[in-house]
Amino acid sequence: MNQLPTDPEKKLAATLVVRRRINATQEKLFAAWTQPQLLVRWWGPQGVACPAAEIDLRVGGTYRIANRFPDGTLVWIAGVFEVIEPPHRLIYTWKLESQNAALERVTVCFEAHGAATEIIVTHERIADDAARTSHERGWNGCLDSLLEYAQQPGS
Amino acid sequence: MSLQAQAPRRSSEDRLDAILHALSDRTRRAMLKRLASGPASVGELARPIAMTRVAVSKHLRVLENARLVSRTIDGRVHRCALRSEPLQEVERWLAGYRAFWTEKLEALARFAEEVDREDG
Repeated sequence: MNQLPTDPEKKLAATLVVRRRINATQEKLFAAWTQPQLLVRWWGPQGVACPAAEIDLRVGGTYRIANRFPDGTLVWIAGVFEVIEPPHRLIYTWKLESQNAALERVTVCFEAHGAATEIIVTHERIADDAARTSHERGWNGCLDSLLEYAQQPGS
Repeated sequence: MSLQAQAPRRSSEDRLDAILHALSDRTRRAMLKRLASGPASVGELARPIAMTRVAVSKHLRVLENARLVSRTIDGRVHRCALRSEPLQEVERWLAGYRAFWTEKLEALARFAEEVDREDG
């Protein structure tokens, strides 16, 4: 739409927050998230296989995660690490490699709660063309599940 | 889960563009919030945000274009009301992200808790 602002900062910074408490230590979960040989063992559930992952874990380093869909399509998610604070926090950019679009950003926090860890994933800047295209590729689960509008900033 | 069952892709894309653009401004979000508690006249919408009626009208046009707000004219009074359907459209769109990350975290939990049991 031609009336969309061109300045990316003026676009809607739609933000999604997903939390999950897991019975494992921060260190173990941070490793599972950042070591490719561990990541491939859990990243591709529900029919989407993860045949490969490359992770250069340093600020400015890149990562690539392969996602193979049931129809054989291979989609790489890729980005650059912006913040690395083991075992507490990771911030990295996020995009589908095949697309030439604005970067989204993912923050993963690992909060210790006794022997368990709460993981908080914040996915920002998802209101852009890249997001919508990835949405259409159908890599998400069920579209009909509900999402609270309260997740939106400013609401 | 496919979008194919829904409206033709182009129009659905255009609608999302219009809705997300409308939601990308805090003044317009404030106006929507006000309308969530009931219909209001243009003057009533302008008052809490210290804006001229002209500026408010501009924002209203964006909201109307996204079909987030409907306007009825009663004599000289324009009454605005919130329409929830476009918000549901955004919810459906964002739900994809939620499903994606929820699924990933579930998988990580299964993996990590299993590794824990193996270790123990």
